[in-house]
Amino acid sequence: MAVNQDYELPCGRELDTVWDRLDEVGAGRADEHELSCPHCRTARESLLALREATQELVTEPDPPPPDLVGRIMSAVRAEVRRGQMLNLGTSEPGGVEVSEQAVAVVLRYAADSAGDVRARRVRVRTVGVDDGGAARVEVELTLAVRLGNGDRGQSLARVRELVTRAAAARVGLSLEKLDLLVEDVYEDGE
Amino acid sequence: MTVEAEYVIADPVVASVAARAAIETSGVVRLEPGLRGLVTAWTRAARQRWKGLEPAPADGVRVRTVEGRRIVEVDVVTSGVDQAAAVGRAVQRAVTRAVADQTGLSVAAVTVSILDIEAAGR
Repeated sequence: MAVNQDYELPCGRELDTVWDRLDEVGAGRADEHELSCPHCRTARESLLALREATQELVTEPDPPPPDLVGRIMSAVRAEVRRGQMLNLGTSEPGGVEVSEQAVAVVLRYAADSAGDVRARRVRVRTVGVDDGGAARVEVELTLAVRLGNGDRGQSLARVRELVTRAAAARVGLSLEKLDLLVEDVYEDGE
Repeated sequence: MTVEAEYVIADPVVASVAARAAIETSGVVRLEPGLRGLVTAWTRAARQRWKGLEPAPADGVRVRTVEGRRIVEVDVVTSGVDQAAAVGRAVQRAVTRAVADQTGLSVAAVTVSILDIEAAGR
């Protein structure tokens, strides 16, 4: 499992990988995933645009700003997030929206805090809009549960409660449906 | 005879007033400049060297006028302690109020995009 989760795209690829493979893909040596994945494509386009901009900056006499790579990565990540936004509804003119990625992080964190489980992947799907203009969403959460003592049914019920509560309290979304998929088990010390 | 004076307040001014109002809203951790903001900031830095001006930062805020309606778009990162939806609405109100108070201009709509929510306790 990647340590630096922050730079993981919704498809599971690392942003660093996309960066490293820019030239390979540009030379027509893309793998199947890279050809079809919209997340990778968005990231690639952003990175290419940035690389162009930075090459112009290289010709600048001034030294580059500190932490250049970090700022580029964070900008690209924001750009990828902007791709999938959920409406939160508002009575004010305009709108309030939140990125699916941000919601996923909040829900994963809530699930982890239930104990005896480890949240893996969160998928958020919009299924409609409620009266207040907020998105109605279905969430699928993939988990690994701890092997051994403890009531598994109970810990899943706790996950369900914490995730539903976090969606309402931390984000302001009510979940239409929450699917918990246990895809793995783990032992202590793993 | 009265002389009619017209005051023109440029979009960058509105943007920096909006940026300030947004960042001061409780629950907002920072504005997110994104890719466009990053490049804009660099060109602004370059321009500054020519003109010797230092414009107020407005990274993460865009001001557009569509069919005579002024629209402000703000990209933010919120804290996980507060409810993202509530913070977003508070930013909408703060921006509208600050722009009206400080420039006398009205804003037709404010769109707040929450790109990241910082997990509580991180």
